[in-house]
Amino acid sequence: MVSRALWKGQIHFGDFDVPVKLHTAVREQRIQFHLLHSRDHVRLRQHMLCAYEKVPVPREEQVRGFEVGEGRYIIVDDDELERLEPEGNRTIEIHDFVRGGQIDPLYFDRVYYLAPDVMLRGYRALAEALGETGMEGICTWTMRKRSYLGSLAAKGKAMRLITLRHADEVIDAGSLDLPVTGLSDRELEAGVNLVAALSAPFQPEKFENDHQKKLRELIDRKAAGEKISILRPRQRRATPPDRLLETLEASLKKAV
Amino acid sequence: MALQSIWTGTITFSLVAIPVRLVKAVRPDRISFRMLHAKDYSPLIRAFYCPDEDRMVPPGEIVRGYEVGPEQYIEVTEDELDSVSPERSRTIEIMDFVDVSDVDPLYYDRPYYLAPGRGGEKAYGLLVQVMLRTNRGGIAKFVLGEREHLVLLRVSGAALSLVTLHYSDEVVPAAETVPEEKEEGGVEEEKDRMARTIRRMEARFDPARYRDDRRRKIMALLGRKEEVEAPVEAPTSFEDTQEGPGDLVAVLQESVRKLKGVR
Repeated sequence: MVSRALWKGQIHFGDFDVPVKLHTAVREQRIQFHLLHSRDHVRLRQHMLCAYEKVPVPREEQVRGFEVGEGRYIIVDDDELERLEPEGNRTIEIHDFVRGGQIDPLYFDRVYYLAPDVMLRGYRALAEALGETGMEGICTWTMRKRSYLGSLAAKGKAMRLITLRHADEVIDAGSLDLPVTGLSDRELEAGVNLVAALSAPFQPEKFENDHQKKLRELIDRKAAGEKISILRPRQRRATPPDRLLETLEASLKKAV
Repeated sequence: MALQSIWTGTITFSLVAIPVRLVKAVRPDRISFRMLHAKDYSPLIRAFYCPDEDRMVPPGEIVRGYEVGPEQYIEVTEDELDSVSPERSRTIEIMDFVDVSDVDPLYYDRPYYLAPGRGGEKAYGLLVQVMLRTNRGGIAKFVLGEREHLVLLRVSGAALSLVTLHYSDEVVPAAETVPEEKEEGGVEEEKDRMARTIRRMEARFDPARYRDDRRRKIMALLGRKEEVEAPVEAPTSFEDTQEGPGDLVAVLQESVRKLKGVR
């Protein structure tokens, strides 16, 4: 089955233009909950309330303000924001190429499959060129009135586009203030050996979302009037720092 | 600035247990506008309203429900959610270590950081060092709010990051979109020309070079407006009314955040 294209455009770099179609790569299937009123189980609606008088304010009396100082706002209306929307020109413009694996996955947002549009030749040539050079194209484009930053990469004979977060959206690991800890060579070696012993190939099919099924069962049982028994989560006791080596070695013995 | 914990629990692999806190790794860079009342520019707050009783509902009366029919819901409590997989709601148990380059980015969903909890600093440091040296990450499952996530623990900077992964049945097979090769002759020559251009355009990845256009434009608009029109003023400052609605906002947001789980 061929899914419908989300968007069409052309990849542009140097003097090349490659027409492509975007397809979704992920379809989420998740249980949806709603917020209810505990007394009568009626589904709640969201309203905007005046912070001072606590009375509901209808939509036509709401305006959008940007706070420039204590209680001081610049009012911005929908028309003004709409005028800032980028013009779409259907071009995925590649600015640079970077070595694959250079982008920290924290920047990855969504993945789209790219399919050739109109002609297959240019598409195949670009997929092969990216594969041969091991590079990814850093690009920008406009889709549905929003501008995106992305990375174009080949995977086998196909190409993909990953939308990237902007630099100021990614929090630096430095803000965690991680303590520096001294580790002995023996501890590190035991750790490396243990990780090797517990290693396996990545097989995503191995992991099913069985929780979703169990949650459905729980809801069904509750709907049938059954009482649900509550199980308390338990927390494992932390491995004491002075027994780390001992624990790693005992784990290794268990693993092999 | 300390990052707020979303969840606290324990990473385990074999007999080793490391207390950790889950914190944000990304924040959507939206310019935050505040909704105001057009009449007097009082700030507005989001609240929940019961249509049957025609009144606002305090946070203590908000529960989570699953729709089983039109206007028919089954309430599910926090405790019941925890009971679905109690062993996974406080523990991130690493099942396998994998080569991180084997995990296709297609599976990546949302990233977080893990920070060491009290007493876990040394074991945390060890896991980071070992993962760096072996280029491995840990595959685990854990429950956050309403969902059980398949996750990859890996190293980002000097920290452990946790990336939630899509389950394999959520990923669309690529064959659906890329047509099989037809007889069309070689593309060798075009490929070589493209490869030359690609090499000429090589650079290092520097995310700071690509600014968010929308954000820049909005900031420019705000700057222009501030020059020509005086900002409006809200009737009273928040401090004056701290007792009432100020607290309600925080409590409401907190309870809704809890109920909806953290996305």
